Formats: sequence, C-alpha cells, structure tokens
Amino acid sequence: MEQPVTAAIVEDHPVVTEGVASWIRSDPGQRVRLVQMASDLAGLRAATGPRADVVILDLELSGELITPQIPGLVAVGYRVVAFSGHSDPAIVMETLDSGAHAYVSKDEGRDHLVEAVLAAAADRPYVTRSQAKAMLADQRPSRPALSEQEQQALLLWFQGMSKASVGRRMSISENTVRQYITRARAKYAATGRTAPSKDALLARAIEDGVIKPGEIVPYDSFARIADGRPRPGVPGR
Amino acid sequence: MTAVSPAPPPPAAMMSGRYQRAFTIAVVFLVAGWHLAGAGGQLLHDRSAFGSFAFQGAMWLVMALAITAGSVLVLRAAPGWGPAWTVAVIALAASTAAAAASPAGQMLAVNWAWGSAGWTGVLVLLRRRFSELAWFLAAEAVATLGVQAWDGLHRTDLAGFLAVLAWSTGAQVAVAAGVRALDVAAGQAAAAAQSEHAARERAATAEIIRAARQSRWLALQESAVPLVSELAAGTADPGDPQVRIRCAVQAARLRRLLAEGDEVPGSLVHELHASADVAERRGVAVEIETAGPLPQVPGPARRVITDAAIAILTAARSRARITLATVTAGVAVSFVADTGAVVALPAAGEGVAIEEQQDGGMLWAEARWNSR
Repeated sequence: MEQPVTAAIVEDHPVVTEGVASWIRSDPGQRVRLVQMASDLAGLRAATGPRADVVILDLELSGELITPQIPGLVAVGYRVVAFSGHSDPAIVMETLDSGAHAYVSKDEGRDHLVEAVLAAAADRPYVTRSQAKAMLADQRPSRPALSEQEQQALLLWFQGMSKASVGRRMSISENTVRQYITRARAKYAATGRTAPSKDALLARAIEDGVIKPGEIVPYDSFARIADGRPRPGVPGR
Repeated sequence: MTAVSPAPPPPAAMMSGRYQRAFTIAVVFLVAGWHLAGAGGQLLHDRSAFGSFAFQGAMWLVMALAITAGSVLVLRAAPGWGPAWTVAVIALAASTAAAAASPAGQMLAVNWAWGSAGWTGVLVLLRRRFSELAWFLAAEAVATLGVQAWDGLHRTDLAGFLAVLAWSTGAQVAVAAGVRALDVAAGQAAAAAQSEHAARERAATAEIIRAARQSRWLALQESAVPLVSELAAGTADPGDPQVRIRCAVQAARLRRLLAEGDEVPGSLVHELHASADVAERRGVAVEIETAGPLPQVPGPARRVITDAAIAILTAARSRARITLATVTAGVAVSFVADTGAVVALPAAGEGVAIEEQQDGGMLWAEARWNSR
C-alpha cells in the first residue's frame, strides 16, 4: 500500500480541528494521516516530528485574514489547502494567487477536503464549487482567457451537478470534464504573481497532458499592478 | 414599484423664510433711506442752528454705523438679545447726546436724531418680542423728554413733543406691526403650499398601492382563489398529495407576490429567496449562490424564472441548490434538486429559455435570460 499523505491543520477553533480529524479518519482508504495540529502559524513552525506534506490552513486566525502569510508557507515547501468560512470570490482568488493549491469552503469540507488534500500532495489541482464560483465571477483584467468548453464545464460544476452529469450534459466523458476544469485552474496558476506551488501545479498539468506549454499565458505583472486592490489582512513578508 | 411623484417644493420653513428676508430687506432700505435723506437732510438744513455742527455730524455718523451694523446682523440671521440691544443702545445714546447738544428751546425743532434712533430700534428688534420694541421706544421718548425738561419744559414744548411722539413713534410701531402680520401670512401661505403637495403625494401613493393590490388580486384570482374555493367546497381533499403540492405552490407564489413589491437591489435574488421560503419551512435545505455581479432582469422575465424555481422547490425532497451566474448577454439561473422525477416546468418566454435534465434522482434545470 502507498504511504499515506501527511497533513497538518492550522485552525484556531478546536471543534473545527476535531471535525477535520474525523473526516480524515473516516476516509475508507486511510489515505491521509494527520501529523500535526496547530492553532497558529508559530505553532506550525515550532513543531517537531514528521513533516506534513500538506497544510490545511484556516484563512482566518484570531480574527485576522492570513492570506499574506501563504507565500511564506509555500516558500518553505508546504502545499497549502485553504479551508475557510469565507466564500467571497475576491478572497478565494487572493488565496489561490498567493500560491494555495486549493480552496475548500467550510460547507464543502465533508465532501471535498480529503480529496483536495490528496490532489495537493500530488501537485494536481482540485477545483471546489466555491473555487469555480470565484473563477466565474473573476472580472480582473489579468484573468486568463478560458475556452467556451472550459467555461461551460466550470459553470455546470458550480451550478451543483456531479462531474458525471456535467459530462452527460456536455456529451463528453467525465474524464474530459475533469480535464476542462483542471485546465481552467492551470491557466489561473499561470497568471498573477509567481509561486513555487503554482509552478509545480503547472508542471504537473503539462506532465499529465492537461495543458500544453503554448497555452500558458505569460505572467502579466502590469495587469496586477493596474488592478491595485487593497489587500485584506496584514502586509506580506 | 417606483412612485412618480411631483418634485417636492422647498419646505414650508424655507419658503416663509424667503418672504421674511424680503420684508427685512425692505425695512433695511426704509431705515437707511430715512437716516440718509430724512435725518441727514434735516441736519444739513439746520446746520447753522447747532453750537457744534461737527459734534452733530459725528453723532449722525455713529448712528449710520449702528444702522449698518444692525443691517448686517438682521440680514445674516435674526440677531440675539445681546447684539440687537447693543446696536439699539448705541443708537439711543447717539440720539440723546445729539439732543442734549442742541440749542436750548429749539431742541425739538432741529432734532434729526429721534426718528433715526427709533427706526434703528425697529430694524434690530423687528423679530424679537414686541414688548422689547415698546420698551425701547418708550426709553427713547423718556430720554428726549428728559433732555427737554433739563432745558426747561414749556407747554408748547410738551405739545410739540407729543406731536413728534405720535407721528414718529406711531409710524415705527405701524411698520413693525405690519411686518409681523406679513410674516404670519407668509408662514400660512408656505404651510398651505406644503400641505397641498403632501396631499398630492398621498394621492399618488394611494394610487400606486391600489394598482399593486389590483395586480395581486388578479394574480390570485387565477391561481389561489380556485384552490381555496375547492378546499372550502370539499371538492379538493387536503389529504391528497396533489392538492398538497398545489397548496405549497400557491403558498410560495403568495410569498413571491409580497417580495415583488419590496424595493430591494438585486431583486431577482430577493425573489428567489422568497420563493425558497416555503420549501425551507418544509425542511428542504436550499442554498442560493451568486457568481459575479448580475445585470438587472426585467419583471416579467423574473416571474418566469421564479415560477420555475417554485415548481422545482415544491418537488424537492431534501435539498436544492440555486445558482445565479453572469453569462454572455444575460443571467443563467440554475437549479439542482433531489426531485426524484422530471418536474413540469412553466413555459419559457419573456427572453427566458428553460432546459432541464434528469440524472438519477437529481434534477438539473437552467433558466437563462438573454437581454438580446
């Protein structure tokens, strides 16, 4: 049997930590092993013992949005799965742009958290409905151009269909649905600021044949500067 | 519904304020004109009679300054007790000094200052209590009489004094009373205009409410009323699942009818929430998600969309997800619910296209409104 993926959770509400631990425990394949629980980022850094592959990160710790801390976690080699009560598209995009592998809202946790952690450990994207919503709602000039098929698959997935139903609706296989959605996510990984995690996602997408190097839009720093939105939370390091 | 109402007139207070200002300006001109032409003319005419024309001229200037200051005060706002009486007392002092410096026995004949001081008092005390003006005019009369008595009071002098008092003070009191009467009239006119506008607005609002009631009544005539009649007559059995579904649909429609009247931005989302209300009370978990800013959807199209929502939510067993997303030239409103079977959806129209797909126990439907 494959080695289980190791995960850490950074969460300041013990009851949520308990819930996440129980979802991980109830996974039939026992594919994820929770190796660390911390209530803040200092606790994560201070910990000894086996190192986690993936950090399940509550975006709001002690009432403060910590998206600006994500690049720091990514830089030391963590893969970040954001787990948050927020579903505001701007926060979701900010989180992904900071280098998080996936965004799971607290409503989606039961169905998607374990899968998102597994995908992140393999540097594969995992697109939740809240993430699809943020991608559909994205109006920034720097947003990548999605094909009509990618757009449609993303819309139907956001609307609440299963991927198999999306496939039937679009007369394509479930696997192709996954490809479209993954490709849309990979295009997002190619835009905005650079992060090692986003490079890893892209490399994996190219390796998996989901996206061709030519389809990647070059990094457009001007659009981000022109965008000029104020960032929530404390300034980045 | 948007009330098309006449533009509101200026508030009554503002309107009557404008009239009052016009009266104030008239009094300023009257007082300034009197001091320049009346008092100034008399001063120049009798200049040889005074022991010191320079002193009389200086008092005239002091009075002119008091009138200027008083005019500025009353044109800015109704002056308070302090500033008003400061100006009044300066005018009174200048008048008394001018009278005292007049040649004995000729004081009344050459007096230019009494009138000016009285008019200055009218100017600054015009909108204060009437008794204040009365006290001021009385004090002025007493001061002038005192100067007269100091010089030696003769019967003829007393008669002259009374004549000047009657003529000058009478005119001042008349002007002050006239302005007061005009103030009151202006207030009444403004209040009348205001209440007329309010009445028009009430009538317009009543008309809008009546039209909304009428349209609701018509909407209920074709749907809820027959059902209630059947229930009352016993031809519809409340135990029959079909009847229960009809009741649930009508309950949701009633709720939506109420929501349609609410003034809420993004009214489509608001009406969908209202349509979901009844299903939620039945224990169906309904989530409504919106991706991106939505364009405004016209009322008839909203009704087609919410009708589809009501049909699906009524059929949902335990959960339903409603999403709204901006698509090219319109909005895609979709429904995913565990209806267990295909649901008969209302006819498309009003620019709304409806599609549905049954997949196992789950129904997917999309109502897409296209603005073109």
